[in-house]
Amino acid sequence: MSYAVSIEKMDKVLKELKKKYRVYAPIRFEKRGRYSDTDLIRYAEIDSVKDVVYNEKSDFSPKEVIHPITQTLFHFTEYEYRESQIDDKEILIFAHPCDINGIKRLDTIFLENGNNEDVYYKRLRDKVKFVLMECQEDWDTCFCISMGSNQTDDYSLAIKFGEDQLSVEVKDNEFEGFFASEEEIDFTYKFVTANQEEVNLPKIDDKEMLKKVYDLKMWEDYNARCKDCGACTSACVTCSCFTTSDVIYSENGRVGERRRVWASCQHEDFTEMAGGHSFRNTPADRMRFRTLHKVYDYKERFGEEHMCVGCGRCTDRCNQLISFSKTINKLTEEVNRLQKEVN
Amino acid sequence: MSENISLPKPYKITDIIKETEIEYTFRVEADLEVEHGQFFQISLPKVGEAPISISGIGDNWLEFTIRKVGKVTNEVFELEVGENLFMRGPYGSSFPINEYKDKDLVVIAGGTGVSPVRSTLKYFYENSDSIKSLYLIAGFKDEDSILFEEDLEKFKSEFNTIYTLDKEKIDGFEVGFVTDHIAKVPFDSFENYNVIIVGPPVMMDAAAKEVLKNGVVEEKIWVSFERKMSCAIGKCGHCKIDETYVCLEGPVFNYTKAKDLLD
Amino acid sequence: MNHDINIGKLQRNCFRQSKVPGEFMLQMRVPGAVIDAKHLSLVQHVAETWGNGKFHIGTRQTFSLPGIKYENIDAVNEYIKSYIEAIEVELCDVEMDDTDKGYPTIGARNTTACIGNQHCIKGNFDTTSLARKLEKLIFPSNYHIKMSVAGCPNDCSKAHFTDFGIIGIAKMEYDYGRCIGCGKCIDACQGHATRVLSKSQGKIIKDTCCCAGCGECATVCPTGAWTRNATKFYRVIIGGRAGKQYPRMGKMFLNWVTEDVIMGIIGNWQDFSAEILEHKPIYLHGGHLIDRAGYDRFKEMILEGVELNPESEVAERIYWAETEYRANIHVKPVNK
Repeated sequence: MSYAVSIEKMDKVLKELKKKYRVYAPIRFEKRGRYSDTDLIRYAEIDSVKDVVYNEKSDFSPKEVIHPITQTLFHFTEYEYRESQIDDKEILIFAHPCDINGIKRLDTIFLENGNNEDVYYKRLRDKVKFVLMECQEDWDTCFCISMGSNQTDDYSLAIKFGEDQLSVEVKDNEFEGFFASEEEIDFTYKFVTANQEEVNLPKIDDKEMLKKVYDLKMWEDYNARCKDCGACTSACVTCSCFTTSDVIYSENGRVGERRRVWASCQHEDFTEMAGGHSFRNTPADRMRFRTLHKVYDYKERFGEEHMCVGCGRCTDRCNQLISFSKTINKLTEEVNRLQKEVN
Repeated sequence: MSENISLPKPYKITDIIKETEIEYTFRVEADLEVEHGQFFQISLPKVGEAPISISGIGDNWLEFTIRKVGKVTNEVFELEVGENLFMRGPYGSSFPINEYKDKDLVVIAGGTGVSPVRSTLKYFYENSDSIKSLYLIAGFKDEDSILFEEDLEKFKSEFNTIYTLDKEKIDGFEVGFVTDHIAKVPFDSFENYNVIIVGPPVMMDAAAKEVLKNGVVEEKIWVSFERKMSCAIGKCGHCKIDETYVCLEGPVFNYTKAKDLLD
Repeated sequence: MNHDINIGKLQRNCFRQSKVPGEFMLQMRVPGAVIDAKHLSLVQHVAETWGNGKFHIGTRQTFSLPGIKYENIDAVNEYIKSYIEAIEVELCDVEMDDTDKGYPTIGARNTTACIGNQHCIKGNFDTTSLARKLEKLIFPSNYHIKMSVAGCPNDCSKAHFTDFGIIGIAKMEYDYGRCIGCGKCIDACQGHATRVLSKSQGKIIKDTCCCAGCGECATVCPTGAWTRNATKFYRVIIGGRAGKQYPRMGKMFLNWVTEDVIMGIIGNWQDFSAEILEHKPIYLHGGHLIDRAGYDRFKEMILEGVELNPESEVAERIYWAETEYRANIHVKPVNK
């Protein structure tokens, strides 16, 4: 069923929902952007649907709700490690289709890889339901169509935002009651069907080709261009890497917590072992690693789909103006050229 | 709720052996099913966790040889016998001991690379009937960095041993890198054999090339990788090389696979 | 040609004497150094009609038009009326009785500025907007003052070499939870700023004493853990100057003050100048004026009635470091 719902009514619904759910959506943090007098749009709990930024892409993805930037795993003393706790509230996330698909990629890593489930991810993920936000425009760095991530059916509500009214499709019966008294309308969510940006994916058939890809000159460009800040991986909805470390409370050095924080394969210490040895020691190596993970080896491992969902945030957030879609296209051109040389 | 496999458990330290100034072996009481070449995530007080390979396996004990490098593994050196070492594991793949049985085995180990292969060596030392011959080439940087001196001495009686130091000349040790001595192994006389290579990345590469040059086929070579890991269960991403997670598919790889793991 | 010209009067009208007798260079004010490009056609017309066809990008960011003959000055002044009104009256809200006769005073010089955050990734605020607000306070006045507005502590506009240099600084706020401890901010602070950041237990700690307020940490932070407090803060450098005798770099007078404080102190400048100069608007560099008053008296008078925001820091005393172009230049014979 779909309904026309006023902002006021939706806020009342939200107030009700918040008794059971933490409701997260992309919201605007004025003047908190990277540069002076620019805004930051990121996920946070909302008090009103008016806070939801639906017509601009958020700088950061919703992954931080389920895979927090900093997360306490254990509290420990010298005698025991006790698992950290979270509260009972369920979670509702406003998200575009690419992000919902991105979180499916995170599910693969956290719930399937190694045939084990990550307790910390799972305990949050199990609580999540999605409110699908309609993409009212195709932003110029989006390439979800190329990645096949422009559609999803994993949502409870689908919303099209209007000036003072929302069109709401209720897919999950749990929420039907909230809208029963509203005007029924003929609204079905429209997925975007075209992007300005189109990406051609590389076809790397065997390890021989992979080795040639490793040796491509194109990576070397990034030695000068990439400053390995890791903004791309932080913005990426599918980047899941983290580093675990212990924090000791200064008042009692034998008590503390074990936590994990996001890590970035673009940082030079990502592979650094005790003793200092590390791998992939240039920005070029690391750019190659990230690119191949997103459009080659994740799929090699898990079979179905590429890791990248084409949200384009890595491009948006790169302060050196490196476009990931252009990087992929360049790679594909090179692979095609190599392919021709073989044949 | 599902079991939290990241939860470290306490194991009592029963012995601490000072191998070198910077390498200690910790023996803990543990009755666990483990295989040669696997590793544990050991909780290092005030630091966090680090993957440490099993260097010894006993009836109800395990040994871990930990190197004091950087700040990461320093705090553990303050632990004493009777205290607990928190750890979780075992993780990862292992050396296929059964496949090595009744054949010739060549073990090439450099520096701390001796640790992950030590339990395998000890196994065949104690069960020398189950192996046709074992050639051990162990190399260290200098006299101060020699590990497991007692074991090395004992091994001489059952194995064909070549011990070497990079530059120093002392009794019982040759001079040079392990690769300099590979040609001394009579590969031609073996009917069926395996080669284990463990050590720093550069050494493993060089040694693999050298044994291949001696006519060894890739399928017969086994290596053990060392990578940064935070989780050891395929989540943290640090150890990934292309589609391979060293913590899951490794650390022990057959060379047919390892040769494609580029970094 | 007329050889009887009151060059002092013309200077006050912003026409500067040329080495060619009877020729002058008009200096048109551009407070904050940014205006619509459409004004260039007027500048071009003046230069080609009455000047020598050239223009100099003035060292104080004026449009400086040389080669204007004395007899054409009235015509020029009439022609630039629309420019003066567009810039001074409309953009800067300056109260002017008369715009027919060109610029009424040259005392307060054009306020220079870098492009600031209208464009620059390092800029911490809109320098031009502030310069325009300052213009209303200082113009027209016969009392001399030179100011420069810099968008960040890089100080590309050389706020350190002017009477009042105003530098935009940002109060950086740190979100502990968002920080991934990558240390990019530490590197940035080390490379560009005052090395106030370091790592402890996987997160960042800051020596708040010496943060330059540049915002480099936010520029490089991958997760948005560092952000600028939305309030704009400023550092005020005073007493910098060039000159033949004893140039010197200015010194910090105020730190972490808000725009209200800036408006307050610059608003007090004329009264301070008048008092120290006994109400004679003679040409004296601001630095010399502060020297004449003494720093304590300057501080007291310039902060008169100004409410300092709680974050403010004020220099207790200032030790100038001059470049003396002859030894002991301030030591002079008693009889002269």
